[in-house]
Amino acid sequence: MKLKETILDPIFKSNPITVLVLGICSSLAVTVTMKGALVMALSVMVVTGISSLILSTLRNTIPGRVRIIVQLVVVALMVILVDQILKSFEATYPIDKQLSVYISLIITNCIVMGRIEAFALGNKPIPSLLDGLANGAGYGMILLIVAFFRELLGSGTLFGIQVLPAGYVTNNLVILPPFALILLGCIVWVQRSIQKDLQEK
Amino acid sequence: MNTNSNLYTVIYTTIIVVVVAAVLAFVSQSLKSKQEANEKADTISQMLTAGGFGSKAEFQAMGNAKVLDTYGEQIAQAFTVNEKGEKVADLSLTDREVLSPKQLKAQNYKVKDGSGYAIPVFIFKNGITVVPVYGAGLWGPVWGYIAFESDGKTIHGAYFDHESETAGLGAKIKDDPDFQAEFVGELADFGNKNVFDIVKGGAPKDAEGKSIVDNKIDAITGATMTSKGLDAAIDTWLGAYAAYFGSAVKAEEEQL
Repeated sequence: MKLKETILDPIFKSNPITVLVLGICSSLAVTVTMKGALVMALSVMVVTGISSLILSTLRNTIPGRVRIIVQLVVVALMVILVDQILKSFEATYPIDKQLSVYISLIITNCIVMGRIEAFALGNKPIPSLLDGLANGAGYGMILLIVAFFRELLGSGTLFGIQVLPAGYVTNNLVILPPFALILLGCIVWVQRSIQKDLQEK
Repeated sequence: MNTNSNLYTVIYTTIIVVVVAAVLAFVSQSLKSKQEANEKADTISQMLTAGGFGSKAEFQAMGNAKVLDTYGEQIAQAFTVNEKGEKVADLSLTDREVLSPKQLKAQNYKVKDGSGYAIPVFIFKNGITVVPVYGAGLWGPVWGYIAFESDGKTIHGAYFDHESETAGLGAKIKDDPDFQAEFVGELADFGNKNVFDIVKGGAPKDAEGKSIVDNKIDAITGATMTSKGLDAAIDTWLGAYAAYFGSAVKAEEEQL
């Protein structure tokens, strides 16, 4: 596969959320605010990118029988590092607190392990790094789209800044997770009507 | 090389785990002081929020240094007390010494035993006293700060935090300002074993539609276990402070 496709495919054509339907639960949970979604998106990008790079470098030395365990150890290492770093900065500490368990739960995000199994273990380090970053970006893009509508309609703000006029009555349904699922459904609908080959007969 | 032999597998996994553990230990040690500073500023901003000096969002926007400054300007006395209500030790005001959630947890075991504890009291210059509470919610610890007027029983404000309560339900103890506002003006009944109650329908209204002042507030719908856990935390901890508030109020009356 060419490098260009490695980078561009996960963003749209084989987006991890809308096409592979991975990482749904966290995209429902952390999309109430743009800030939270952005931090989560960047965290997932870093975790998938770097752990793909590490495991791709090690791929010929990993014993087949403990493959998954080695992957988990590396992914867990990256997630804990990201969590520790977020906790250390004044600006990200409150966001880390708000995202609480969802940062640690990146370990269980299917995108990370899925991309390592499907791509990193069979490809060279640099393409693996790009594949990891691109998949994280594809995930993050959907997160930001969902968060945009949820924060705008649910709180009348974007990145915490008041956008809609003060008289706007906030919609509480939008804040709740079910609305994220509805929104996600709409995004999948849009994508499938553009990309005809995804439609089932 | 045969990467599937038992010996190779054992050695390989051992090396991986040791390397990962070393990296984590190093990172954790080198970031510890920064994380503790953040946690401390967060704890202080929670106390200030309970004391009614501003909202949590305002303190968050201020940054750590200003939060510590505000605390330094407002605080008059900080010390720990034991089960008889006697002062055990002073907490340094210049160092902005407070008890972190971890330290509260350590005290919580002793508070539950009913003796041997040294729990903090923070008295601000405007006469407001802030004390912490700590206990178990549904998924993890819940804790918070309750501020009392100078009469030692009227609640001036409250702020709660949690580690892992359900978002949208139990997490409301932290996120819902309306829940925290319910505490304002209510009375803690230090003579009773149930010092304070969080119960269903706990906010009865009188004929004029004003809420009646008592030691009960309404629990959170859909978060029964969190409400009960917080209720127990408040009862145990305020119970542990009963002697202190009893003697503090008496001392004030004698002065008059």
